[in-house]
Amino acid sequence: MSEVHTHAAHTAADFAAPPELGRLQLLAIIAAVVGLALTAVGALLDHEQFFHSYLVGYVFWVGVSAGCLALLMVQHLAGGAWGVVIRRVLESASSPLMMVLLLLLFIPVVLGAHDLYEWTHAEAVRTNEILKWKAPYLNLPFFIGRTILYFAIWGALAYFLNVWSNRQDEDVAHGYIYERRMRTLSGPGIVLFALTVTFASVDWVMALDPEWYSTIFGILFMGGWGLSALAFVIAVSVFLSGRRPMHDVLAPAHFHDLGKLLLAFVMLWAYFSFSQLLIIWSGNLPEEIPWYLRRYSGGWQVLSIALIVLHFMLPFLLLLSRDLKRNARLLGAVALFVIVMRVVDVFWLIAPEAHHREASYVGHLDPLAVLFGAAAVIGIGGVWFWLFVWGLRKRPLMPLGDPLLEKALHHGQHHH
Amino acid sequence: MSSALQEQPHEEVAESKSGYAVIAPGHTFASVTDKIASIVLRKRTPFGWFIGVAIGFMIVQMLMLALTWLLLRGTGIWGINVPVGWGFAIINFVWWIGIGHAGTLISAILLLFRQDWRTSINRFAEAMTLFAVACAGIFPLMHTGRPWLAYWMFPYPNTMGLWPQFRSPLIWDVFAVSTYASVSAMFWFVGLIPDLATFRDRAKNRFVRMIYGLGAMGWRGSARHWHRYETAYLILAGLSTPLVLSVHTIVSFDFAVSIVPGWHATIFPPYFVAGAIYAGFAMVLTLLIPIRKFYGLEDFITMRHIHNCAKVMLATGLIVFYGYVMEAFFGWYSANTYERYMIYNRMTGPYAFVYWLLIMCNGVVPQLLWSYRVRENLLALFGIAMVVNVGMWLERFVIVVTSLHRDYLPSSWGNYMPTIWDWATFVGTIGLFITLIFVFLRLLPMISIFEVRTLLPEAQVREETMPTTTTVAPAPAAGD
Repeated sequence: MSEVHTHAAHTAADFAAPPELGRLQLLAIIAAVVGLALTAVGALLDHEQFFHSYLVGYVFWVGVSAGCLALLMVQHLAGGAWGVVIRRVLESASSPLMMVLLLLLFIPVVLGAHDLYEWTHAEAVRTNEILKWKAPYLNLPFFIGRTILYFAIWGALAYFLNVWSNRQDEDVAHGYIYERRMRTLSGPGIVLFALTVTFASVDWVMALDPEWYSTIFGILFMGGWGLSALAFVIAVSVFLSGRRPMHDVLAPAHFHDLGKLLLAFVMLWAYFSFSQLLIIWSGNLPEEIPWYLRRYSGGWQVLSIALIVLHFMLPFLLLLSRDLKRNARLLGAVALFVIVMRVVDVFWLIAPEAHHREASYVGHLDPLAVLFGAAAVIGIGGVWFWLFVWGLRKRPLMPLGDPLLEKALHHGQHHH
Repeated sequence: MSSALQEQPHEEVAESKSGYAVIAPGHTFASVTDKIASIVLRKRTPFGWFIGVAIGFMIVQMLMLALTWLLLRGTGIWGINVPVGWGFAIINFVWWIGIGHAGTLISAILLLFRQDWRTSINRFAEAMTLFAVACAGIFPLMHTGRPWLAYWMFPYPNTMGLWPQFRSPLIWDVFAVSTYASVSAMFWFVGLIPDLATFRDRAKNRFVRMIYGLGAMGWRGSARHWHRYETAYLILAGLSTPLVLSVHTIVSFDFAVSIVPGWHATIFPPYFVAGAIYAGFAMVLTLLIPIRKFYGLEDFITMRHIHNCAKVMLATGLIVFYGYVMEAFFGWYSANTYERYMIYNRMTGPYAFVYWLLIMCNGVVPQLLWSYRVRENLLALFGIAMVVNVGMWLERFVIVVTSLHRDYLPSSWGNYMPTIWDWATFVGTIGLFITLIFVFLRLLPMISIFEVRTLLPEAQVREETMPTTTTVAPAPAAGD
């Protein structure tokens, strides 16, 4: 690596965030107010439904942040031009402040634990041998403690990756020193990430049906959250590419690389989901199959089929096209569509578990569940997005001290 | 597919993060060709080669003996019985098939991802894949008991009214493995054609020239030849890519679609695929480290390659270890008596030492690879690769044997002990593998000559000279 940095010519002003981002923040506030107000209405109507809807929004947005943290660490480890141009987006979406916000947003989940998780009922634990066995793990104090631990780990990783990144901006000549530090942290960071996401997925989602289990669940979440994060990053990059300064940076070659990654993640998600379905379907065991049976009737099957067709097949076929991947607007449209399908997937994982313990449960896909689920995603998303844009505006949109900056700026300039 | 070809020239083709180049400086087109071709087209075969092939060939005789006895007496000579009906045959099958995966990953996926470091090891790794698949194929074939009737597994119209059970993953295996073998062989052969032509042109002996000429299929290196070649090679890479995932996924289904505790686990597909790549890269290092030394190929197989192989091993090893952690956690979390007992029995039962040895080999020892200094140390790396080879075999032993030997009813429990014939067959296939590798080294270019030439600075096309719209990379730059 050359010690002489020719790109010292770039200053923070060259990559200052465009003023249009301020308008997005205003939109985010409106979304937050409307979404949360509607969610509050839902809470008054049916509190069990409310907490499930809230959990949908919560898990989705945690997924975007955690996924961005993982992609950030992967790009530090793997290097490459694709990572440099999206680094600031990744950092802002997984900033330490964001982790604090997400931890605070966990409080309603704790308040609603009684409505969400059957194992919080002493009565149920006493009469159910399975819950009794799992009590050392599935109990409220440990549950809360684990969540705090996940956010402590994610927050610590995010803190160092952001602080070093800031220093790298200030001390461009020694950018490679910070790059090396971030790379060194990212190796063990990915390992910690895999373990925390796995147990978070068990705690927040799998434990909704405490008798059900699937060993691939953690990997399914890693793939799903990675996909959410990547689709989000692409959507933001497409927005930024329409304005200076990123208009001059982001070339079709960048979008081509990101599009290929998106395709890979779409396929991975489908591969993990299909593996789980095939194995549980063929086993047809009483402790496993009810989870799918709930998603196989009462209107839920529409969503199940929609996931196959719209979460996998359609984006898969579209993303095969080279022209589409190199066209920022089209790729952005596909990314937005994937984000919507990610929400549907999270909804499909969580919402069918509401009320399913009640004797009167008929398992219908309730239009109100859809409405309040969407409201929660938009409401939490508004708050989340406001903080994200706030973080993005604070710093230059490109990491000035990244040793690969120059390479990233010229990536594919000759291939318009 | 053309997207992979549509690539930019690399600014720092020869530079990596750790500072090692993919090819040592100072080479020219001629010196590359001379060096690699001289290993095969030489007057005298090195003595060490005779020793190696003799050892391998002697072990093959043991395989022949074991298989002949098996055909005479039947599978009763093996240690399998109720309740462990799947013993060494399946363990060895999965082990060998897994080893093959590194070759496919290197040749197909790394090609599509434009990783230039694949270029000097892909030929060798693909050969390893083919030989590993050949060794793997022996086991299920012999395990059928009447291998001469193996074609019954294929769906063909017949007067016996026989039709395969398409819901059985064992039938999926027949298709997965035969597709894998044929696509890998084709990919390997197509990649060889330009080099075979080089050999044809360089060979002094008329007979040798004729043999390589037949393989080269009239290759003249014209622009049209290169154009067709590039297209064919990329299509084959595209076909091979899903195979990296699908073959071992289907192998994992052999276990996972059953309801046997220890086999029926949804994590099996990704965990098996990671394990396959892990085992494969361990075998690549096991073979590369001595061969590169023996033939003096340090200029082409540089420390960059060694580092990268070690890193892939570390990453896939961590995924495999994650799989063990998940099996243990969900064994407890499931709250299911049989699942709980399965994991408890693995850790404390009669085969507990195998389980803990496996954790040691696959989980603990490879953590040394985090260290840069360990990755620099060839002896240490060779040792770790050997440990992983053993560990991956132990993993399959644990999965197959400990899940079967104690099932739902204690009255039907039993133990499994391999017989001398199990061992003779297993070790025999290792001999077959060694022999095939030595024959390959002697007869074919173990490094792709024309692809390595593209790594040289003079082969790099500068950006200024690139036309604005290209559909085909400048031959012979095979998307490096």
